[in-house]
Amino acid sequence: NNNMANQGLTYDGCNFFRQRLVLSTLSGKRVKIRNIRSKDDNPGLRDFEASFIRLMDKITNGTRIEINQTGTVLFYQPGLLYGGTVEHECNPQRSIGYYLEALLMLAPFMKTPLRATLKGVTNDQKDPSVDTLKATAIPLMKKFGLDGEGLELKVVKRGMPPGGGGEVLFSCPVRKTIRPVQLTDPGKIKRIRGTAYSVRVSPQMANRIVDSARSILNKFIPDIYIYTDHMKGANSGKSPGFGLTLVAETTSGTFLSAELVSNPQGQGDPVLPEDLGRNCAKLLLEEVYRGGCVDSTNQSLLLLYMTLGQQDVSKALLGPLSPYTIEFLRHIRDFFQIMFKMETQKQEEDSQKGGDKVLMTCVGAGFTNISKTLK
Amino acid sequence: FLRQQSAAPNLRKLVYGTVPGDEEEDGEDEEELGGLFRVSRPEKSKRQRADALDCSRYAPDSAHDWDQEEMLDSIRNCFVTGKWEGDTDA
Repeated sequence: NNNMANQGLTYDGCNFFRQRLVLSTLSGKRVKIRNIRSKDDNPGLRDFEASFIRLMDKITNGTRIEINQTGTVLFYQPGLLYGGTVEHECNPQRSIGYYLEALLMLAPFMKTPLRATLKGVTNDQKDPSVDTLKATAIPLMKKFGLDGEGLELKVVKRGMPPGGGGEVLFSCPVRKTIRPVQLTDPGKIKRIRGTAYSVRVSPQMANRIVDSARSILNKFIPDIYIYTDHMKGANSGKSPGFGLTLVAETTSGTFLSAELVSNPQGQGDPVLPEDLGRNCAKLLLEEVYRGGCVDSTNQSLLLLYMTLGQQDVSKALLGPLSPYTIEFLRHIRDFFQIMFKMETQKQEEDSQKGGDKVLMTCVGAGFTNISKTLK
Repeated sequence: FLRQQSAAPNLRKLVYGTVPGDEEEDGEDEEELGGLFRVSRPEKSKRQRADALDCSRYAPDSAHDWDQEEMLDSIRNCFVTGKWEGDTDA
């Protein structure tokens, strides 16, 4: 394996930045990223990317990072995935979800269990929120045998953009190997749960969101419960805002999610909570239409765990692959030489079960966590 | 984008570019004009994508109007309240 680690990979541009560094760290392959916004008026890495690199440095040991003066070229030589207790101030240009998505991918493969305190923006309009990841990614991790008391994701303080001020606690156990999965039956949706949150605005906002979201979803299913979460004082961050996260749970334990967040203070038109609730409910219906055993946000996490599983066949039925996932599959091929078998499953016209699905099959790389301490 | 995916005859080809035993198309990618100038347009769109926002969210298909009753009907059986297949029991 040492031989493989010697060859590096080279990419262009700042897109897919996190997948490249994450896969580099897991595979041990060096990576060089060139032409980072080289044609931009303001070339080079942004603050949030620098913040992400610092986080990667904190959870590893002996990682070598070189950046040229303009920040347009990054060289990354991964060290040992150490884990342990870390605290990180996440740059508020991106929400904590941006950083957390990478930690979810890395955490099971660390030397010591990760216990991360992340500070910054908990919910924004770009990235999956902490609430969504808690409701969808955590149950997904359990399917791969990652469970027990060690697995936790908790919103301690909420922080909306642009000010942030939120705090999240994430802890995850380590595993020597992760088990293969057979996720071929998405099941039928038996209930819908959600969280309507509001900070530094009237607590009534959350109730208005709940009523409008229910008015649409009630056409399908009666079992709907949307929690209202109004954090106050020191737990409400630095900026006002509100939003909604919806999760549909099926009989086979699949979780499909959708979310919407109000415009940040001083940016764009104010959003009515009624509109937000209705539009978020429609986004959930869209996600149900796509379907599959994970929602579009968690496709890459699932595929990564399948890739790194024991040398056995894993199968998963997904909705249409997102552009991000397609790029992730290409990167998995680059770093791990693993290609998935993909079979499209057409839905019959009158089945009323949404759009076409795709069955993804792969044999795991038999990745073993050599750095995990033996007890 | 959804349509692009369902229209692709081979999803594997869409993702990985080439399928084993189907690589004859590779040579045509670099089109040259007058043997001197390369067509630079595809390069440009690639550059834009290369510097795009790194985000895992998947924008919804705007063609779906969830106010329409037919759209609502299209997912009715994804719920426990919908029709069940013969062999599965509630």
